[in-house]
Amino acid sequence: MSATTPIAPSAAGARRTDAAVPRSHEKGWRALRAHWPQYLAISPFYVLFLVFGLFPILFSIVLSFTNWDGMGKIEFAGLAQYAYLIQDSRFWNAVGNTFIIWLLSTVPMLALALGIAFLLHQNIRLRGIYRVAFFLPNVTSMVAMAIVFGSVFSDSFGLVNSALTAIGADSIPWLSSSWGIKVTIAVMVIWRFTGYNAIIYLAGLQSIPTDLYDAAKMDGASTWQIFTRVTVPMLRPVILFTVITSTVGGLSLFTEPQVLLGNEGGVGEAGMTIVLYQYNQAFTQFDFGYGSAIAWALFVMASIFAIINWRLLSERDRTPRAARRSKGARS
Amino acid sequence: MTPPTRRRLLQAAGLAGLGAAGLSACGSNASISDDPHELVLWYWNRSASPELLEEAATSIPGSDSHVRADVIGTTFDTKLRTSLAGGAYIPDITYINSNNALYFRNEDQFLDMAELGADEVKDDYYPWKWDLGTTPEGRFCFFPLDIGPTGFFYRQDVFEEAGLPTSPDEVSAAATTWEDWIALGTELLGATKARLVNTGRHVYDQFLNASPERYLDEDDAPLYLEDGSAVREAWTTAVAAIEAGITAGIPDARGPDQNAAWSNGSTAGHINAAWWAQILQESAPDTAGLWRLAEQPVRPGNSGGSFAAIPRTCKDPEAAMAFIRWINTPENQARAYEDVQLFPSCPASFDSLSYSGDFFGDQDPLAFFSKAAESVPSSFISTWESLVSGSFALELDNVESSGKDPDAAWDDAVAAAKKVLTKRGVLS
Repeated sequence: MSATTPIAPSAAGARRTDAAVPRSHEKGWRALRAHWPQYLAISPFYVLFLVFGLFPILFSIVLSFTNWDGMGKIEFAGLAQYAYLIQDSRFWNAVGNTFIIWLLSTVPMLALALGIAFLLHQNIRLRGIYRVAFFLPNVTSMVAMAIVFGSVFSDSFGLVNSALTAIGADSIPWLSSSWGIKVTIAVMVIWRFTGYNAIIYLAGLQSIPTDLYDAAKMDGASTWQIFTRVTVPMLRPVILFTVITSTVGGLSLFTEPQVLLGNEGGVGEAGMTIVLYQYNQAFTQFDFGYGSAIAWALFVMASIFAIINWRLLSERDRTPRAARRSKGARS
Repeated sequence: MTPPTRRRLLQAAGLAGLGAAGLSACGSNASISDDPHELVLWYWNRSASPELLEEAATSIPGSDSHVRADVIGTTFDTKLRTSLAGGAYIPDITYINSNNALYFRNEDQFLDMAELGADEVKDDYYPWKWDLGTTPEGRFCFFPLDIGPTGFFYRQDVFEEAGLPTSPDEVSAAATTWEDWIALGTELLGATKARLVNTGRHVYDQFLNASPERYLDEDDAPLYLEDGSAVREAWTTAVAAIEAGITAGIPDARGPDQNAAWSNGSTAGHINAAWWAQILQESAPDTAGLWRLAEQPVRPGNSGGSFAAIPRTCKDPEAAMAFIRWINTPENQARAYEDVQLFPSCPASFDSLSYSGDFFGDQDPLAFFSKAAESVPSSFISTWESLVSGSFALELDNVESSGKDPDAAWDDAVAAAKKVLTKRGVLS
């Protein structure tokens, strides 16, 4: 009984508005008035998003055209922040570092994840335990991780260098050379996200019909052939998805270098990433105008990557004939 | 009575939500506590003695107010600046770390404590510390809490093995200038392969911390451009130490490596403040009894040490001043040292303090550092210093870790400093 009562008046209200055919915004207001408790009930999320999500995003656009130290007067500065950004070698160093670390981490990470997912998909014992084990790094505290990695890659007393010297190789200054720092950060990223991507690949693998494998086996394909000729092509959309998420993650890399090297990005700023530089400028140098400009520069770069990815995806989704037709239409 | 319908329930929830929103809107005033007799203090862990704060929580001696002390975690400055910028939820009293110069640009946010009678106790404190709390406008906004007089920590056992002077007096006498100190390090390196310090940056920093002149003067003019400026001298000294090979090249980012080097004696010394003794004791407990303290070449400096300030929105400035004066009397600073090892900024505090421990053998670090504190020079730290100091440190690291040519590195540091000062409108 109580469940049906609220529906009746609202249905009647809808009929009335239909009959009157009012202008669309009036219709919206009526609907709002008729359903305000419902709107109110879903409002907390939107209110919080407005205050802590949308407002800071929009305010940072404004800030990027100003000089502000976070406390005093906000002074309009025009395009000065962006002009400085273009010729700021520290910023471009951060851009370079970000892309190098992204390449160093993403390529081996996705290859490893695919291999692990393929193995986890086999009929092996203790499968559940392996899946949990590979996912565990993703939920480990980053700060604890940084301490462990700091010790493992420690130049003079680290595990890695001890192992290297034990087999007669030279020790490598992991945390005080430009490439050492980048490789260490990349290894941290790989360690943390390989399991996560492997789980996504595993979900993709499980959606591949088993008759394809059976047919391949019937035709005498080896495990490697099945992997390269059946698994990988069928997984393409999933692979593209992980490439996109890894790109977003790679461009916004912050926690790993920050907890490992601090706010200055390590020796020679070799571990300074774009977001770490943004944080450094806004929250340690208290230059919020410039920090905002860096954020929007990052947004532009991320957009370019998003467009490239989107293009790649939409090309793949088209049937060959449709693709040919659209090519013909363009020429 | 009919059971509530879903609509009723939603309406009730909605009204409750509106009510809550209305209430929080009313609470948006400058102060954190509505109680007119409750002063809110912001501090961070180990920056105040919990024992004394507990007493102040009952009442501030000589006033009818009391203190509610809130521990503010990491990013203290960001949180304080945010509340000051927003003009809401501002503490009535706040502690500020040794980077108090950062607030000079916004000094009108804080009350001039000279107008509240702070000058009456001026003579109780080291004059150089009092000067650091005075803004370029001459307002006294930052009251002395603790200090960090510096000295040269060294491993007596390693020095002995190398055939160097071993007693604190002998070592101090052997290294009264930085040249002698580097020569001592070279001798140590030749005899034992041990380094004198971990990085050139430590030498650079402590040279500057012991200098009356720093990066910029009170008119925001850069001083480092001139030959013979303190920054240039500090740079030259650090580069000389790096080139002599007496620095181990282990940057601060590699804390575990630094600690290991001090523990196993491959780095046999460090120049730092009194508070570092506590850190060393915790990170290298096995070396107890092996460390000694010698005087820093030329003169001791100051590294670290915090301040107390009263934001202009404070609900009862007299009571706030009474609290700050009370918690910093020579007796209470001595108690804070015993409680959480805050090194007193009152010379008189040491009358009632005594050291018992053998980390420095038969040497008394309290006596050593209180004597050092007397010779720390007065200096002026510019509000813009934190913008430029990073470029010099970064380039010095480049010289040390990747063998960058020191002259090129200096030019790059000066250029980077000029660029950022121009950007922020300090230079035109």
